[in-house]
Amino acid sequence: MNVIEIKELTKYYYIGRKKVVIGLENVSFSVEEGEIYGILGPNGSGKTTCLKLLLGILYPTSGEISILGKNQFDIEMKKNVGFLPENPYYYDYLTGPELLKFYGKLFEIPDKTVNERIEKLLYLVKLHEVKKLALRHYSKGMLERIGLAASLINDPKILILDEPTTGLDPIGCIETRDLLIQLKMEGKTILLSSHFLSEVERVCDRIAIFHRGYLLTTGGLDELIKKYNADGLEDLFVKTIQEFDRKGEKK
Amino acid sequence: MKKAWFIGLNTFKESLRKKTLYILLVVALVVIGASKAFSFLTAEEELKMIKDVSFSGIEFFGALIAIFISLTAISNEIEKRTIYTLFSKPITRQNFFIGKFFGTILILLLNFILMSLFFIGLLIFKKSPPDIQVFKTLLLIFIELILIASITLTVATFASDAFNVIFSFFLYIVGHLTSYGNQLADRTENVILKGLWKILHTVVPNYENFNIRDKVVVGIDVSWQYIFKTGIYGILYLAVVLLIGSYFIQKREI
Ligand SMILES: Nc1ncnc2c1ncn2[C@@H]1O[C@H](COP(=O)(O)OP(=O)(O)OP(=O)(O)O)[C@@H](O)[C@H]1O
Ligand SMILES: [Mg+2]
Repeated sequence: MNVIEIKELTKYYYIGRKKVVIGLENVSFSVEEGEIYGILGPNGSGKTTCLKLLLGILYPTSGEISILGKNQFDIEMKKNVGFLPENPYYYDYLTGPELLKFYGKLFEIPDKTVNERIEKLLYLVKLHEVKKLALRHYSKGMLERIGLAASLINDPKILILDEPTTGLDPIGCIETRDLLIQLKMEGKTILLSSHFLSEVERVCDRIAIFHRGYLLTTGGLDELIKKYNADGLEDLFVKTIQEFDRKGEKK
Repeated sequence: MKKAWFIGLNTFKESLRKKTLYILLVVALVVIGASKAFSFLTAEEELKMIKDVSFSGIEFFGALIAIFISLTAISNEIEKRTIYTLFSKPITRQNFFIGKFFGTILILLLNFILMSLFFIGLLIFKKSPPDIQVFKTLLLIFIELILIASITLTVATFASDAFNVIFSFFLYIVGHLTSYGNQLADRTENVILKGLWKILHTVVPNYENFNIRDKVVVGIDVSWQYIFKTGIYGILYLAVVLLIGSYFIQKREI
């Protein structure tokens, strides 16, 4: 079953009156229940744009989005989705537990449940020892961690993560990786974007490669490597992108 | 509505951390306090002076605080990108906007109460406890402040902070000049000017309506009927402003 379906999604950014920047161009793909789906692509390829569109943060220029059978603005649907933005930044005067509590309130989760979850999540992301520290004293990696905890406060069915391991130390990366796999085993669906190919290789069931707003290819890792006759994910990544650019030059 | 309230509380907490707010509040209190420094006046004149300066001070500094707080309530969330997380939660953009409104009103109320208590304390100290007319004046000032805040908040849904500041102050000034404008419009023969003024007069909030201090200070009673009528005007204007804001926050690209 597909829990996320994207059809011919296009997003143009207008700068001033005339200038148009392509954020996403005619992208279609879907994410199945219970899988980890990874979006790869060079800087500026449209990964963040795609994820923001999925959460209804941006309005698409055209195309359709369906999450759990609802459109991207549906409030009930959003109760089942968790989101970690890229380079997350939060109200820096709050402490970790206060931040989680605030988001918990927006989900209308009962206080008791929220408090239990906060305990569990802080422990999970290894921030249980700095409960009293305001977020403005957090390091980059700590912000990423509290962001991950915040994205889990509603115990979501679908988790959307924009570069969840950027800024984390090697141990943090491994822990996050393990956590993602554990969450998958709990039955959650995860859609993430990443620049770390080795990480994607290890956790993702299927991937998509974006470039200049286009979806170049999508499918299971092994399947794609075979199809492009590539030597691993890195080679696949470089090959698809070079091929696209070559075609573009010919035109 | 409940979610809007939580967003409001969060906005309130955030605003409390702004140093400018405290500076404005302290200056306002100093101004109100200084009104009793005119010791060469007779007791009665001094009382008038205290009332006049205090009402004006509460209104003026209240307006500054209203504009200052609502100016950044939305743009802060966009600038710091906290809005991305917020909009990914099960809230509507209207929830967000109304939440921001609640938050700014809370901050405004707090400051307004502090300034008013100081003023009332001063009156009691001068052995002239405030009468109902004083409270009527304060009530109308507060409604005016809510209106000022809501307009700045609404403009913030579609315009830059820089434009917003200028626009809000422009409205504040023009909204207080209505009676002068009326006089000028009466005198001029130019039909176009007259017409333009009519339009401006209808669209621009008539802040001067909320000003009854000139009467109250000299001891003229203002009827409840007037307070009620002006209150209704304020609420209707507010409703329209908030509707416009809800519309533009929905359309806003962030
Ligand atoms: N608010 C915006 N206004 C104008 N253009 C934008 C805006 N946001 C993104 N873009 C453009 O859209 C394109 C895709 O950007 P996006 O942020 O989605 O890339 P990305 O794949 O997430 O990159 P990165 O790996 O660096 O995070 C880029 O060309 C970018 O310049
Ligand atoms: Mg990105």
